[in-house]
Amino acid sequence: MADDFVIVRDLHRSFNGFKAVDGVSFTIARGEIFGLLGPNGAGKTTTIRILATVLRPDSGEVIIGGHSATKDPQAVRRIIGVCPQELALYEDLSALENLVFFGRMVGLSGGEAKEQAMANLRLMGLEERAKGKVAKFSGGMKRRINFAIALMGHPELLFLDEPTVGIDPQSRNHIYENIVALKEKGMTVLYTTHYMEEADRLCRRVAVMDGGRIIAMDTPYGLKSRIGDPAKVTLEDVFLHLTGRSLRD
Amino acid sequence: MKRALILALNEVRLYLRDKGDLAFTLLLPIVTFALMYGAFGGASRFNATAYVVDEDGGMYARSLVEGLGRVEGVKVSMLSTEKALARLQDADLNFVLFIPAGFSERLASEGRAELVFRQRGNGGQTGQVLGSIIRGIARDMERDIGIYQKVRSNLAGTGIAVETIDVVVTRLLEEERGNPSVRVKEELTGGTGELVNQYVPSILTMYVLFALMVGARAIVEERRKGTLERLLTTRLSVGELFFGKYIAGIGRGFVQTFILLALSYAVFRMFTPASFLQSLCFVFVYIAAVSALSLVLASVSRTEDAANWIGIVFTMATVILGGTFFEVSEGSLLHTLGRFSINTYANEALKKIIAEGASLGDVVPSLLIFVGVAVVGLILSRLIFRAVSGAR
Ligand SMILES: Nc1ncnc2c1ncn2[C@@H]1O[C@H](COP(=O)(O)OP(=O)(O)OP(=O)(O)O)[C@@H](O)[C@H]1O
Ligand SMILES: [Mg+2]
Repeated sequence: MADDFVIVRDLHRSFNGFKAVDGVSFTIARGEIFGLLGPNGAGKTTTIRILATVLRPDSGEVIIGGHSATKDPQAVRRIIGVCPQELALYEDLSALENLVFFGRMVGLSGGEAKEQAMANLRLMGLEERAKGKVAKFSGGMKRRINFAIALMGHPELLFLDEPTVGIDPQSRNHIYENIVALKEKGMTVLYTTHYMEEADRLCRRVAVMDGGRIIAMDTPYGLKSRIGDPAKVTLEDVFLHLTGRSLRD
Repeated sequence: MKRALILALNEVRLYLRDKGDLAFTLLLPIVTFALMYGAFGGASRFNATAYVVDEDGGMYARSLVEGLGRVEGVKVSMLSTEKALARLQDADLNFVLFIPAGFSERLASEGRAELVFRQRGNGGQTGQVLGSIIRGIARDMERDIGIYQKVRSNLAGTGIAVETIDVVVTRLLEEERGNPSVRVKEELTGGTGELVNQYVPSILTMYVLFALMVGARAIVEERRKGTLERLLTTRLSVGELFFGKYIAGIGRGFVQTFILLALSYAVFRMFTPASFLQSLCFVFVYIAAVSALSLVLASVSRTEDAANWIGIVFTMATVILGGTFFEVSEGSLLHTLGRFSINTYANEALKKIIAEGASLGDVVPSLLIFVGVAVVGLILSRLIFRAVSGAR
């Protein structure tokens, strides 16, 4: 498709012989929210790290916005924003300082960084706590800051790796609402989550990964119709159907 | 490059908020300085107490003790045999001079006798200095006795009373002592002769190496926080990342050494404005080299524990080989190994600047070594990081 903003072809990556990503291919259209689902250890984070240019694939190709992630990573970095699965914050700095610092790192001027930081904190409902030290924040607040940092510099493509993990429904809903707003603005997003119902509502298409491979890829509706009446089955049913019920770790 | 500076500023800000690091790097130098002041403040040159056990009690023993007491900076304290042995045993003393019984008698009759230095290890620096002072006095005594005997035997049979001969010889010897044929004149060509000048450079360079331990954690800490990976998805290049860390390392080290230098200036009056500036410049280049080394350590350290251990081992080895705690004697294995310690060059050159009034121009070889280390260190750390991280 000419409109494919992200093209991933036959991606492989092993760690000491263990195949974490084993032949993954998919595309994401501009303005699409693409869900990457899968049990623990499926290889979702590894895939995102390769796309975000922090990890080299053993083989395969990643093209983002027309730039190769391996050959021209610097060009890719200019258009992406990453919300990592693990919190990546300076706990000794304030919320505002964190956002401004990463804003400067993605190329904003001091003034722009401050402006965007305040706007993003407002979006996250953390305006009042802008000057508070992150170390003193609750888990949900830290998650929201982790998410807000990814928005700095208005990236064209967002990688959201379980942005809502381990927080209360209020914080989760808050982040969820923000992703909806981004979707409406036409943001392209690669989204991973273990909340199937979130993925169902947000994503235009989802890929289900297991053991480093994509075992199914379709619209949530399409996937649900594979095992029954799409109005009755949930994406979770599909997920369990595809990946089985055995524990992964 | 601007991003590297912003990163460095961020680093400095984090460092200022970390109370532990701050105490370690800023308070410790001040405490050390206070201790140095306690040890050296106001004292000039050599200052020691010589502990002596006089088991002889004879004339020559007394004159030896008197001679020792006349040496500038030496105080004599007499001990009993038991007490001296006990205190040596307890490591309370490192060096005691024993004048064995019969010393005076044998010296008078045979012209030779023995003194005993009882010491722990090598007697410590003070013990060694006292030892050579005592040897000097003993040599003088021996020479004097020789002169008395020669004069007496030459004048034997002339009918002049021995007492008269001795009185004249004593007077002549005293005259000679007051007007020696080889005179030592002390001239200061800059700096001061103070002992503290020998110590401050070592302490200073040691603190620079301590700063290295903080620097060695620069990358792992960032990795643990997850911010390293996040930074690598921004426009910050690895080169900028390293350069930012490098500048921050220099900043930290410089603040620390500046405090020590400024305190030394104010309290010990060790500097002229010119020598102060030269010391600052010299230390700056040294810190630049050490910071580059710390980045090499940072890039090989995979965990925080590893970073700490590598940092400590490297720092201690460098400090010891650099002759910070004790003089490394020339020609020894340690001396040869010391050539591989960057601290050696820093100590030698800084001592020249502070104690001998040398200028930067006189320490160009050291400066060149530091610049070389800095360049190689930066390149090496960057290469190692790429190889180790498996990323880019
Ligand atoms: N740096 C690494 N070294 C060794 N093994 C790794 C590394 N990174 C990932 N793995 C392994 O690769 C597999 C995939 O990990 P990955 O983090 O991509 O899974 P995931 O789908 O994100 O799982 P989760 O839902 O738990 O986040 C796991 O078995 C993991 O242990
Ligand atoms: Mg993951």
